[in-house]
Amino acid sequence: MIQLQNVKKYFGQRLAVNDLSLHVPKGEIFGLLGHNGAGKSTAIGMMLGQVWPSDGEILVCGHEVTRNRQQALQKVGAIFEAPVFYDYLSAWRNLEILSHYTAPTPASRIREIVDWVGLSGREQSKVRTYSHGMRARLALAQALLPQPDLLILDEPNDGLDPEGIHEMRQTILRLHREMGLTILLSSHQLNEVEQLCTRIAVMNQGEKVFEGTIAETRRAQSWFKLRTGDFAASVKILREAGMIIGEREGSLVLLAEGTGSDAVVVKLVGAGHRIFEIGPESQNLESFYLSLVQGRKGAA
Amino acid sequence: MKMFYLQLRNELWKLFGKKRTYIGFGAFFVTEIVIALLFRYNHGARNFVVRPLERMGYTAEEVLSSLTIAVSMLFPIANLLMPLYVSLVGGDLMAKEAEDGTLRMILSRPISRVRLLAIKWVAGAIFSAVLVLGLAGCAILLTSIFFTPGGLYVVAPWEGIMSVFEPGRGWQRFLLADFFLICNAISIMSLALMLSCFNMKPAAAAIVAISVVVLNLILQDMPALADLKEWFITYYFRTWLNCYREIIPWWKIGQACCMLFGFNLTFFIIGATAFQVRDIKS
Repeated sequence: MIQLQNVKKYFGQRLAVNDLSLHVPKGEIFGLLGHNGAGKSTAIGMMLGQVWPSDGEILVCGHEVTRNRQQALQKVGAIFEAPVFYDYLSAWRNLEILSHYTAPTPASRIREIVDWVGLSGREQSKVRTYSHGMRARLALAQALLPQPDLLILDEPNDGLDPEGIHEMRQTILRLHREMGLTILLSSHQLNEVEQLCTRIAVMNQGEKVFEGTIAETRRAQSWFKLRTGDFAASVKILREAGMIIGEREGSLVLLAEGTGSDAVVVKLVGAGHRIFEIGPESQNLESFYLSLVQGRKGAA
Repeated sequence: MKMFYLQLRNELWKLFGKKRTYIGFGAFFVTEIVIALLFRYNHGARNFVVRPLERMGYTAEEVLSSLTIAVSMLFPIANLLMPLYVSLVGGDLMAKEAEDGTLRMILSRPISRVRLLAIKWVAGAIFSAVLVLGLAGCAILLTSIFFTPGGLYVVAPWEGIMSVFEPGRGWQRFLLADFFLICNAISIMSLALMLSCFNMKPAAAAIVAISVVVLNLILQDMPALADLKEWFITYYFRTWLNCYREIIPWWKIGQACCMLFGFNLTFFIIGATAFQVRDIKS
């Protein structure tokens, strides 16, 4: 559904996206992870033809976006963080306005979508009277109006309360299940991505540092739990020996590539440290993400 | 074509749904009331119109018709207030959408940027026409309250115009002049819209547009630059006044229309190019 090939984007001299290649297969819920400023929104902007790539090729729904934007976006819906509307107009009018940029949309279709997202009865109210949750539903409604095959969600949970986040999660799962949509979800809420996505890509400082399935992130075990008599002193020794590239929470260490736990034990015992526990930390997406990002920082 | 109509209708909803769109109408209405009252009760204002015509043998009762005062009140408004308000709206058309973030929503849809700009230009042109017609309509309405109907007596010494028309011809000239005033308003709106296609705030686009118009006015009236006056856009804005000459210089009006069309086309092409190459980010 989406294919990026060696995409680069410069803003002036600054390289915002560097050599990004990405493949989002049809029918997947694909997570695009990264901290603020990692290049996620720029990448999404390029997929939607809002930001022009400096180099590389971007295919959406089989069409090259920079050359054939109209065809590429014909079956695409998008939601952006903190969705904005024409607040002085009604929700219904907003939906009419936005949907007509794609194709003439009959009132019955708008009615169907308004019912689907649960805004019935409030569709004639001005958007300025809407809560964050209702705005999120309206954003979803406008994205669904063109009957998309691909949904691009850029931080859809931004500004939502826990109940709203739960509701959005259920809606995304429903869209995938009932309509079979391909969904690209950009977020830095790792818990959400872990619960929703089947595949992810992690971006850091404009570069893709990982692409794979959630199952693969769980198998990657580079963080180790280390309990010693003096954790800080142990970390200092291991760092000086180049055996770790990161540490956190006063008990976890990120082993350097090629370093095993046995070598860590030998090093610390040789230095006179007592070891109470050492073993791989059970991985969740958060620890995997941190290992990737901190590992990069350590390597840098 | 149906899509274009729907998109244009939506653009007009957006434009006329905003309260700030009506600031111009409100300001015009208040200004026109003030000017009408001044003409009615202030001798200085009345004498400005009456004295030159009395010298030609007309009486004050004949001269002070609703149509005459309506045209007299349009002179300052057309030169000062009208450019300000069409600039404000033209500057808003694209830059406000970019500032608010709605432009990003629009451009996630399969609409080309040139088409979007074309729709906004047409909507801006319709607004300009409505504004000028509203301005003229209000002028007639207000002056009808304070003055009696009659012929049209136009005194614009700075243009060398001192004309007298019977009521029928007076109305014809008034409507014709309004049409060319609409062309002026559209040209200023186009300039502001072009600027709003660049990466700038709506207020900045409006201020730069109005500054360009004022700068053109200043340069055009400088005696040292008299030979170059035809290079300034504001020179062609005076066409509407030519409609009040006893004999209309059609060749001049034709030339001005061609030049304004050229200016509008240039503004559109520059705006479209700037908008096309621009990155739209949150």
